[in-house]
Amino acid sequence: MKITEFFKDRIFLYISYAAALGIILLFMNAFHADAQLIIISAAIFIIMIIVTEAWEIIRKKTFYDDLKNKLDGLDRKYLISEMTEIPDFAEGKFICEIFRETNKSMCENIAAYRRNSAEFREFIEMWVHEIKLPVSSLLLMCHNNRSEINEKFLEQLIRIDGYTDTVLYYSRSENAEKDYLIKEISLQRTVSNIAVKNREILLLHNISLQTEGLEKNVLTDGKWLEFILGQLISNSIKFISPLREPEILISAEEFSDKTILKYRDNGIGIPESDIPYIFEKSFTGENGRNGTRSTGMGLYIVKNLCSRLGHKISVNSQKGRFTEFEIIFEKNDFYKFD
Amino acid sequence: MNKIYIAEDDRSIREELLQLLKNAGYAAEALTDFQDPAEKIISAAPDLILLDINLPEINGELILKEIRRKIDVPVIMVTSRNSATDEALSLSYGADDYITKPYDPTILLLRISAVLKRSSNKASNRTYNGLRINPAKGALISEKSEIILTKNEMIIFQLLLDRQGEIVTRDELMTALWDNNEFINDNALTVNISRLRVKLSDAGQENAIETRKKQGYILK
Repeated sequence: MKITEFFKDRIFLYISYAAALGIILLFMNAFHADAQLIIISAAIFIIMIIVTEAWEIIRKKTFYDDLKNKLDGLDRKYLISEMTEIPDFAEGKFICEIFRETNKSMCENIAAYRRNSAEFREFIEMWVHEIKLPVSSLLLMCHNNRSEINEKFLEQLIRIDGYTDTVLYYSRSENAEKDYLIKEISLQRTVSNIAVKNREILLLHNISLQTEGLEKNVLTDGKWLEFILGQLISNSIKFISPLREPEILISAEEFSDKTILKYRDNGIGIPESDIPYIFEKSFTGENGRNGTRSTGMGLYIVKNLCSRLGHKISVNSQKGRFTEFEIIFEKNDFYKFD
Repeated sequence: MNKIYIAEDDRSIREELLQLLKNAGYAAEALTDFQDPAEKIISAAPDLILLDINLPEINGELILKEIRRKIDVPVIMVTSRNSATDEALSLSYGADDYITKPYDPTILLLRISAVLKRSSNKASNRTYNGLRINPAKGALISEKSEIILTKNEMIIFQLLLDRQGEIVTRDELMTALWDNNEFINDNALTVNISRLRVKLSDAGQENAIETRKKQGYILK
């Protein structure tokens, strides 16, 4: 709080003090009071005002300056009510009271939303779990009654399964709670799981999937990594180049402090101007608008999951030639336990 | 004939699984009433159990523990929750393998035959018409010569040999290859089979692999 602001705020008070002093002096003069008496009275009046004003300034300035400092220093501004000390003047006490009341009400409100969102998330998890049952059942039916039409059903079923996973992982990635389990995972096994899961659809598009140097372990959550790779595969399938036989190459390289997983396809690539935005929510870009419809959620969720697991993901692409994603797994002994 | 017992509470999945297993040449039975499941499973004396981790009223993991206390029979756990903890738990309770819903039916069959093979310790056929097979070396050895097969060719040859005289579909060959981390496409499978044919006829086994149009291949 600036001192000039304080004075400006009390200007009316000073005007009335000045007026009062003027009137008193006028009366004293009219009653022919002694000149010395007039001077002493005026001096006492002025000194008293200066003293009380100084006292007021000190009290308020310390309180408000303290408040402002703490507010500036706070990362979460709403914690200010917990941080302020109750001052000894009424106005300040009143403000603190209001802080506390509004804060309490806000906390209750947030708790209600948090409960709602947790319930919603539980429902989503349960729903995904339930929808997998009819999907499983249909997959088995297609298999037990092989025919051309069932091949087509199968492709659509795999799409449904993929979309349900997107819902599940979106809800997981947006949630603040830690529901992943980081441990040593074999890249070979993870890639093999996801390849086998997408076998029908990869073969349908005649894609050859090659792997190189995957005999390495990384620290991550296996299920989340499977989902991430699944999203990359489904993108590769969406953006196959009609000019050549589609190929996907998944390889890994190990360094002293990190392991890099590389995922490369020879699809239509990403235009250079779109590259900085592909991990953004709802971004579809040129590829998403032409041909295959895209929601712009897949890579956003991928990026989100990566950053929650502490992995870095980046992309490198040349339009019309290839797209390559790199996921960097840091090596951290902290997570290791036997 | 191996008998497989299914503990799965979703009626539709259960019926399709029974169909799938019967088509694949197994005797299959399923739990329909979930009172005292462990007892019922044990009294059926199956060769392998397919156990859902989420059964009504009683947890699949508890059933597994109870069965394990009494009989030693291979168990494959089926999970539908997408979390790593379930898998770790089912293995720690002594399941031989696990598979997550919704699963690829051919992969399920492959896992079943792998687990059964492991538990019966049935050594796969090691010779073919005087050719000795050395899988570690990836070679077919006859008295005169030694033919080196690639990993893919070996996987294909072994599957055909395991089921000598029967039709093996392209899909089954593909499944075996994919389950061994060879994610090849249709063209590559055709190429691998024709190379294998050439190598076999070099070893004096002309026309060993016969093509059955729209069905698959037979090793004679």
